[in-house]
Amino acid sequence: MSHAEHHVSSIKMLSIVFGGLVFLTVTTVLTAQIDLGAFNVPLAMTIAVIKASLVIVIFMALKWDNKVNAVIFGLGLLFVAVFISFVLFDTLYRGDMSSTTKGTVQDEVIRNEALQSREPDPSSLQPVHTP
Amino acid sequence: MSESASGTINYLSHDKSIKSWLFTLDHKRIGIMYLIAVSLAFLAGGILALLVRIELMAPGETIMSADAYNQTFTLHAVLMVFAFIIPAVPAVMGNFVLPLQIGAKDVAFPRLNLLSFYLYVAGAVIALAALLVGRIDGGWTFYTPYSTSIGDGILYVSTGVFVMGFSSILTGLNFIVTVHKMRAPGLTWNRLPLFLWSIYATAIVQVLATPVIGITMVLLFLEKFMHIGIFDPALGGDPVLFQHFFWFYSHPAVYIMILPAFGIVSDLMGTFSRHQVSGYKFVALSSVAIAFLGFLVWGHHMFVSGQSATSSVVFSLITYLIGIPTGVKVINWVSTMYKGSVQLKTPMLYAIAFLFTFSIGGFTGIMLGVLAIDIHLHDTYFVVAHFHYVMMGGNVIAALGGLHYWWPKMTGKMFNETLGKIAAGLVFFGFNLTFFPQFIMGAQGMPRRYYDYLPEFQGYHLLSTYGSWVLGAGMFLILGYLVASLINGKKAGLNPWGALTLDWTHTTTPPHPHNFLETPIVTRGAYDFHLAKDLFASGKEVSEVVTSTKH
Amino acid sequence: MANAHSDHPAHLQHHFVSSEQQFDAAKMGMWLFLVTEILLFSGMFVAYIVYRTWHPEVFVKSSELLDPVMGGINTIVLLASSFTVALGIHFAQKDNKKGLVINLVLTFLFALTFLVVKYFEYTAKFEHGVFPGAAFDPHGVSHGVDYATYNIQYARQFFSIYFVMTGIHGFHVLVGMGLFTWITIKAVKGQFSSAYYTPVENCGLYWHLVDIIWIFLFPLLYLI
Repeated sequence: MSHAEHHVSSIKMLSIVFGGLVFLTVTTVLTAQIDLGAFNVPLAMTIAVIKASLVIVIFMALKWDNKVNAVIFGLGLLFVAVFISFVLFDTLYRGDMSSTTKGTVQDEVIRNEALQSREPDPSSLQPVHTP
Repeated sequence: MSESASGTINYLSHDKSIKSWLFTLDHKRIGIMYLIAVSLAFLAGGILALLVRIELMAPGETIMSADAYNQTFTLHAVLMVFAFIIPAVPAVMGNFVLPLQIGAKDVAFPRLNLLSFYLYVAGAVIALAALLVGRIDGGWTFYTPYSTSIGDGILYVSTGVFVMGFSSILTGLNFIVTVHKMRAPGLTWNRLPLFLWSIYATAIVQVLATPVIGITMVLLFLEKFMHIGIFDPALGGDPVLFQHFFWFYSHPAVYIMILPAFGIVSDLMGTFSRHQVSGYKFVALSSVAIAFLGFLVWGHHMFVSGQSATSSVVFSLITYLIGIPTGVKVINWVSTMYKGSVQLKTPMLYAIAFLFTFSIGGFTGIMLGVLAIDIHLHDTYFVVAHFHYVMMGGNVIAALGGLHYWWPKMTGKMFNETLGKIAAGLVFFGFNLTFFPQFIMGAQGMPRRYYDYLPEFQGYHLLSTYGSWVLGAGMFLILGYLVASLINGKKAGLNPWGALTLDWTHTTTPPHPHNFLETPIVTRGAYDFHLAKDLFASGKEVSEVVTSTKH
Repeated sequence: MANAHSDHPAHLQHHFVSSEQQFDAAKMGMWLFLVTEILLFSGMFVAYIVYRTWHPEVFVKSSELLDPVMGGINTIVLLASSFTVALGIHFAQKDNKKGLVINLVLTFLFALTFLVVKYFEYTAKFEHGVFPGAAFDPHGVSHGVDYATYNIQYARQFFSIYFVMTGIHGFHVLVGMGLFTWITIKAVKGQFSSAYYTPVENCGLYWHLVDIIWIFLFPLLYLI
């Protein structure tokens, strides 16, 4: 009964998509060897998004699936975006309008150690004359 | 229903062996097993709360040492949050009622449902054992670096919470699919009982938020086990990041706790006011709106954590927005009572008590969402009072209303109505006496979680402790007469409350193992009392209740 | 409950009205499960993004220790396994049992290949003290790379995130192998047909998601 209603992806289309995915993988590895400065991250991420979209739309057949499943998937991505962006509201602006420093406790420890090493030997700080 | 309740088999009587319970796939039996497990957690958590209150009767040591006190309130909190309040309404009443209300034979994935129950039990046992053996203190939030500096018990607690989270995810997933795919013919979204709308919204939150507590617990585990340095500041990690992770789940979890309570109250308001719930669509969609907005406000737990002022402002602003859909609900409930003809049965008493206590909890929540005020009130008893007004005054009181409402359906027995009303009074009075003084002492600066305090706060602490005794007495009275009703309770009729949802109109009491003898066809909304005169005219048992109703 | 369906198929559970309802419900459940998986991984992505924005130069330098060729091969292996799963579903829909079984076995083998490559990557790191957490202590020289120069502040965070992310991803691959073993046995027994192939469809969806996660992990950890 369900046979006629389910979408059947053709082998030809699946093969073309697979070829495209391999091509994009090679592209992203090769372009990563070149230093594009500020464009390194956006380019790699754009390629990754295209690859993921191909898998979702064609391999997972979301294009022909029940719309509600697409909405579910979209919701998941939306909330990942919320998670990332709202955490970044904090971490990118940490220390604004307050005395909190951006550094961590470890930074503090390292700074203290550096200061310690510049201090003179405590024995040389003995009082010159004793009462 | 032409068929008489007597003589037909029901889900309790058709097979009484222990095995048939432990391996059941019947959503009703799983719901009852959850009810027993969750009640045990509530009993244990409640006794711990009473101990905490006794300790706080006087400054200094009263009945336990400071260490024991820290462990006691931590155990109370973890039990109540993870083992009681999160599964309480969705897993107990959601499981029992949801398929009945949508006219399905079961939830979409019965085996997953049973798995989810056993995951819950396993997780609760692991967490409880770890808390007892591992002497965990410091509250239920497990903030790093403190949580990773105490004993190894935290490894097991995080495992337990992870497993319980998995259980919650599977329940939510099951309910979403059930509501989407299993509704009876004619049961459109606009005819869905409001309880289901809120269970649906809750399930969305469970599915979207709970995985994050999963990964948080994994990272916490690894932080303690391998010192991966993500959350531990001594290793270059960021403890505030842990708080983000934790509250990304735990704030929406607050809505896992309160949304089902909204649903119960909406159902009770409609049924016991004999009137269509006013603004049905708004009440329904406000549940969904709260579920979504609930994801955007977690940072209001972190105003004094050192997070950026930018994010504090954003979180504070969105926190106010939550007041809008919540207000929509409260106004519509009041309006339903105003337009309808209110019947003060025990479940309705809880619904009205809920309106009072939840409104106080909600308003104080808005106060705490104000940045400047929160700096003063943060980590004081004001916060303790606020979340107990929301969690207990909201969830627990509504859950008690729901339990009384569906008790006849679950057991086939009526409880003693007089004792029910007395207990409702005790719970309401005791609750307010326990927690209202905490607002005052909190505003005056009494810090939360402290073992000792200044003598000037003792009066408030005494009131609070006396209140906890009244509240405890009310709870034990409820336990007493509900158990008694199983033994000598009056047999419940088909529809003792005169409700219009499918669970009451189309099933026997208690329900048949397969719920419905034939698939129901829905022709009216869940609260269309004006379209249901036929039902009230023909049904004998319904008419006993309905005769006093005037339109 | 009188069962009115005379042509009641064996795979249809009693509480569903039709095979179509059962298929749709199972598939929707799977999509919801995938969303929970995405949110589970999102926590690690958030950790990655936060530490990368705080210490970009450390992350760029640390990622030099990861081999993009190995990672690239693994990416193609996983993509190939996704392709064979999609082919498997195609053959299930066409009632081609042989095609289905072959593709399921291939998928399993690709998954195994992925884990073998991962094993070599991990051991190469462990040999030079690149561990997650407290044991992190890069040392020694191999292929002209002096590991000690990578012992810099916050490199521990990068490698902790690397091991946790790829570790949990690897665990998912392992689970996937278990699932494919199970459905291959069912397929050999001839339990799937164009009328009923829900487990193949759902395992396929799960597997594609494992692939998608890797599609993002690969550039984030190895390339940029």
